[in-house]
Amino acid sequence: MKRILNLLIIFILIFLLSSTLYSQVPSIDLTILHINDFHGRLLPYTVKSISEKIPVSGVAYLAQMINEERSKNPEGTILLSAGDMFQGTPQSNIFRGEPVVEIMNYLKFDAMAVGNHEFDWGQEVLQKLSSISNFPYLSANIVDKDGKYLPYLKPYVIIERKGLKIAIIGLTTPETAYITKPDYVKDLKFLDPVEILPNIIDDVRNKGANLVVVLSHLGFDADKELAEKVSGIDVIVGGHSHTVVTNPVVVRGVIITQAGYNGIYLGVLEIKIQPETNIILGYTRENELKTVFAGPENKFDEKVAQIVDKYNSQLKEEFAKVVGETLVDLVRNYNEESNVGNVICDAMREAVSADIAFQNSGGIRTDIQKGPITMELVYTLLPFDNVLVTMDLTGKQILQLLEQSATLQKGILQQSGLKVKYDMTKPVGQRVVEVFVGDKPLELDKVYKVVTNDFLAAGGDNFVTFKEGKNLVYGDMLRDVFIEYLKKHSPISPKVEGRSIIIK
Amino acid sequence: MAKSIIVYVNDIPVKIYQGMQVKHALISYDYSLYKSCENGDIRVFDENGFEVGLDGALHEGAKIYTKNIREG
Repeated sequence: MKRILNLLIIFILIFLLSSTLYSQVPSIDLTILHINDFHGRLLPYTVKSISEKIPVSGVAYLAQMINEERSKNPEGTILLSAGDMFQGTPQSNIFRGEPVVEIMNYLKFDAMAVGNHEFDWGQEVLQKLSSISNFPYLSANIVDKDGKYLPYLKPYVIIERKGLKIAIIGLTTPETAYITKPDYVKDLKFLDPVEILPNIIDDVRNKGANLVVVLSHLGFDADKELAEKVSGIDVIVGGHSHTVVTNPVVVRGVIITQAGYNGIYLGVLEIKIQPETNIILGYTRENELKTVFAGPENKFDEKVAQIVDKYNSQLKEEFAKVVGETLVDLVRNYNEESNVGNVICDAMREAVSADIAFQNSGGIRTDIQKGPITMELVYTLLPFDNVLVTMDLTGKQILQLLEQSATLQKGILQQSGLKVKYDMTKPVGQRVVEVFVGDKPLELDKVYKVVTNDFLAAGGDNFVTFKEGKNLVYGDMLRDVFIEYLKKHSPISPKVEGRSIIIK
Repeated sequence: MAKSIIVYVNDIPVKIYQGMQVKHALISYDYSLYKSCENGDIRVFDENGFEVGLDGALHEGAKIYTKNIREG
């Protein structure tokens, strides 16, 4: 018993001694504030799982939280974005991301990783956004066809805080090459981060970096893999998978975090660094993400609120703008061919030069009276943020889709490029009695180029055959495609013209 | 060009295309479940136990799980 007591006393003494020593080690306190996948979310909204009463997000409230956190460690704070900042809401989309840049400039962001959605409006728009930003756009794994970095993107930046040199290295998901409209990533190569990162880390260490932060738009699981495979990283601040990493994860000594999505959270990672050795002595282990509440009790940054108000006023003007004209009423018909379904599908088919276009009836949300068509009406007509998806399908697969359409479980498929005769008196699975593609009969073994939207491509409304497509390519947003079609072809006068004839 | 991948929703394999997101996997798996997620009655978590957003990216073999918000 006495021996156990002695051992216990020794352990307590060792613990007290080490705690005292630890507290006496001089350290530098850094704060990394971070967001990711903001997606143009300027205004607060309700997220039921967080609070049914108090809205969350809202960039003016986020800005206030950034100001407050920065004021706690003004000399030792850096502010980062892990990408996908601009695309996602009308407030940002209509102005091609400029409101977000204006606010990021005001908040003095130090760097932003380039996400895949940064290419959603093409390289010219991205280049323009970069040119009006007061912070660097980072991606160490995007190069041109000659293997050179793009003039408007940097692989990394080295920032100095409290005498420490902090390297911020950007990474973009290599999937960007095939999940973006091909024209928008033409002549770009997306290199494997695991292969290129060691040389970059050597480079920044040779330039005196004391701390290496990877600003990653790869996704949380890919970040963990990166930490497993690449040495020399201290911290990974991530994005892309919209993961709410409430407590940072450590893999092989690398601290990995990610701040959810839509500006609902601000990541506040506090790090203590031993200056001579650059060893991380401590970091925020729990509750690293602060929820941005936007209730009446919560403070907001007035300057940012003014910027949001300015763009909201402009948005009203933009929404009131006429983008086309129809000479006839555009009328939906959930279970039969409709003139509005026809014109939407015509726009889709023309945009990608497909043989056939399909749109779900449920995705068309209003009728439009004859006369001018405003931007706002188009948003009401097509409120979902669907993108075009082009794929190869065989005639047999197209027939399966039409048979599913004939069940009327989720309405008929609106279409362009076909003439279909349905006989509803026949049993399910035998109702499609005649199909022409253009003026030729559908050939079951022939491969056709089909365009639809991403909802149907995922098998939505039970159109599961879309999941069997080959050579899938993503395109522009359906709404944008329709607006361009209206601008080009107005005045329009689409008709119900026997594309889908139904024998009842 | 994007190829097909398999992800897992509540341990059930679901076929989607590369570049598709949590919402697409849920649409493919069970549309009514997706609508419950969209309405905020159901939350989605990854295999590490972290919540993920409906627009979050997925990769081959990714596993997501749904949970009613009343379950905490």
